[in-house]
Amino acid sequence: MRRHSARLLATALSAALVAAACGGGSDDAEPVEVEDDPIEEAVDDETTDTDSGNGDVDAPDDEAEVADDPPPSTAAPLEDDDQLTSEGEGGNATDVAPTPGGEITWGLGGDGTGFDTTGAISPGSIRVVNALADPLVGLDPDANWYPNLAEALTPNDDFTRWTITLRPGVVFHDGEPVDGAAVAANLQAHKDSPTTGFNFGPVSTITAVDDLTVDVVMSSSWAAFPYQLVSQAGWMVSPSTIGQNETMVSTGPFMLESWTPTDSARVVRNPNYWRADEGLPYLDAINFKFLTDQVVRTQAFEAGDVDGFISPNDTDIVEWLDDDTVDVWIGTAGANEALIMLNTTTPPFDDVRVRRALAHSLDRQFLIDTFRSGLTEVADGPFNPSSKWFADSEYPDYDPAAAQALVDEYEAEIGPIEFELKVQSDSSIIEVMEVATSFFADVGIDATISEIGSGQTVPLAIADNFQAMSWFQFGAPDPDRDYVFFHSTGGFLNWSNLISAEVDAGLDRARQTDDFDDRYEGYAQFQQALATEVPMIWIDHLNGVEAAVTRPELNGIGTPGVFVDGAPSIPMTDGNFFPWTSVWLEQ
Amino acid sequence: MVIARRAARLVFVVFVVTFLTFFLLDRAPGDPAEVKAGLNATPEVVAEIRAELGLDDPLLIRYFDWLAGAIRLDFGESLVTEGFTSWELIREALPKTLELMILAEVMAIGIAVPLAVTAARRPGGTVDRATSAGAFGLLALPSFVLGIYLSYVFGVQLGWLPTIVDDLPGLNDDPLENLRQMFLPSLTLALALIAIYLRLLRSDLIDTLQQDYAMLAQSRGLPERRILWRHALRPSSLNLVTAIGLNVAGLIGGAFIIEVLFAINGMGRLTILRVAQEDFPVVTAVVALLTVAYVTVNFIVDLLYRVIDPRIRDGIA
Repeated sequence: MRRHSARLLATALSAALVAAACGGGSDDAEPVEVEDDPIEEAVDDETTDTDSGNGDVDAPDDEAEVADDPPPSTAAPLEDDDQLTSEGEGGNATDVAPTPGGEITWGLGGDGTGFDTTGAISPGSIRVVNALADPLVGLDPDANWYPNLAEALTPNDDFTRWTITLRPGVVFHDGEPVDGAAVAANLQAHKDSPTTGFNFGPVSTITAVDDLTVDVVMSSSWAAFPYQLVSQAGWMVSPSTIGQNETMVSTGPFMLESWTPTDSARVVRNPNYWRADEGLPYLDAINFKFLTDQVVRTQAFEAGDVDGFISPNDTDIVEWLDDDTVDVWIGTAGANEALIMLNTTTPPFDDVRVRRALAHSLDRQFLIDTFRSGLTEVADGPFNPSSKWFADSEYPDYDPAAAQALVDEYEAEIGPIEFELKVQSDSSIIEVMEVATSFFADVGIDATISEIGSGQTVPLAIADNFQAMSWFQFGAPDPDRDYVFFHSTGGFLNWSNLISAEVDAGLDRARQTDDFDDRYEGYAQFQQALATEVPMIWIDHLNGVEAAVTRPELNGIGTPGVFVDGAPSIPMTDGNFFPWTSVWLEQ
Repeated sequence: MVIARRAARLVFVVFVVTFLTFFLLDRAPGDPAEVKAGLNATPEVVAEIRAELGLDDPLLIRYFDWLAGAIRLDFGESLVTEGFTSWELIREALPKTLELMILAEVMAIGIAVPLAVTAARRPGGTVDRATSAGAFGLLALPSFVLGIYLSYVFGVQLGWLPTIVDDLPGLNDDPLENLRQMFLPSLTLALALIAIYLRLLRSDLIDTLQQDYAMLAQSRGLPERRILWRHALRPSSLNLVTAIGLNVAGLIGGAFIIEVLFAINGMGRLTILRVAQEDFPVVTAVVALLTVAYVTVNFIVDLLYRVIDPRIRDGIA
């Protein structure tokens, strides 16, 4: 009880100190956008902006009165297991015919940095790109790949060759045809780029067979290749504009009318859209306004100056879930996980006992209840429990006694456990890590927090210049996207440097087959290997604190879209990068 | 001759402040080469970029290279927004910051001067006491608190004014819409200035009205309004003008905050975002330009003294 009260006091003091030092800076943080492309995630250090006003947690007046359990959750009751939602008076009625026309303004939390499809694209830009480009491949509501801009993707028997069949008559915004040569040029540029090429590791050759056919040959079996074409690699741009950052000439429902860095972007309806005969898109234009401050976004929404935005603020989400005049959509996947990345080649984390001790020492539910208003779920790995790929693993539970035993064993053999925890300069992250280090200290692990700039995480990770670092990533609807981050030889961005035959075997098995059961077993093996080796200290799945908040008149945000053949596509809030095609405004 | 000496001093100060700016930002944590390298930030690639950007050259050489470019408004490419130069980004942002600052000053002077004159007319009277209390209240509140409150009341609750500046038309294109969007931000920035200017001018006016020539004018039966506005205001304005000049720095800092609050794509918001993104060329350019602007404004203030008060021009005061 004494330890618990000390932790509560530490929590309150941490929040007070951080708020005093940073001026309540949680509002200044850039939130994590719903994202799963490794390029954007790897270079984006936007963080979940959680409310530092955890006034629910008070230091107890009397230690004897402190209960053993964490404080009660303040989360709003969940409506169902699959999706948290709260529909306003307008709702997302599926029995009402969409109304064409109108413009909306969408508030973005992060700045856009450009549109070079062969470079690193920030989440702020991705929101805009999703209006400008249709990827070659989409996702159905079960997160299975489905042809989108491409008419078909056909593998050979052993998945070493994929044939992409294109749709006739599709043109880019500049009128140039989306033909075999254009698609091949785009894919080749993606492969040749030092920034994006690692995504196409197994790709050997890309050939335009004819105007409507592209052949992609692999050096090894790659059954999950189509999932790479769901996002950046699948965005096709007019060949003369490949590599251009200041504009995007693509195939999507909207065209880029203007872009002012650090301020805004405006996209207007594409009159030559390949699905125009379906009446798409419904909207005439979308104005994207970069509003980096959470308070500003909230006030702008409440004043009607923006029609929707992504809110990462847990207390705001809780309030809006009770507000009938607002629609709130919390997706089930596609959001990042919060974790602490460990460098497994650097002491003390080159010893699995230390990594497991760290995991055992951390009460993640306490962090969730304190800093997320209970809206998120504990993470045991990179897969959300709602994912069909999720498998139970033996990730170390909160067990201080087990942690202490491991620490004692290590200390007797080697010495005290001390390390530097690098944390982005963001009060909402710092306060979580401060409390986490207090848990570590309880079992005798001494962690020192050092703040780093938001742009330093990736360079530090690439240079292996860290022992432990706060991190936000993963959450891809399909786990093949995680290959590059975990495989010991094929993982260009194996941040933790973990070398594990089990991890490699699981990932390889899952990559080389399209049989669900086979892939599932592969990823189960992968998850268990991660749980055993603990190269990361998982905290929670952040989809619970990344809500799309819209006025009720805005439809098509949280409901499935439709492919050209009428099949449903995954909702925008479940990892589909916000395709704006089907969004419409009641007027 | 005096002006030439002061101009020479201005040039010297500009050299010093730009060098200090360059030096301090050069020493700041973070590596521009790593930012540019992004996912390719292996030691080899970073070293190659450092060589390409000249980051391994001695500080003085890099400063003079930068200065030579800065004179031509060439501050280098943005490390974060490829395809844009630092000057292109600044050129987009600068007019909005200037407009914000100028509007705030005009509002502040336009409100503070009449209030100060009215308050000085009857020291200790109702207006004087009310304005003093109001001024102290405004001085006690931080501008970002005021801004959030004004935005909430007039934007969210009443819906009279927008809470963010979006797609701002030029003053030439649509002055009404421009002023409508910029009203709240300018007012927020002006409120603290009003308090300062009001208090300063009121005190100086009261002192001036007790001078012999002012009392002579009263005894000759000149209208009170004429005495206040034509004879007392000008000699009482020295401190006000000084404060206006010195407050440019405060105005710039305040503009930074206001621009974030109201999503104005100005220099302040640009700087804050680019600091977080470690876009060093842009940050260096903004800081250098702002410091040069500040010293230049104060140089102009110095010159204005001689215009306002002939005694200074003639060397009597």
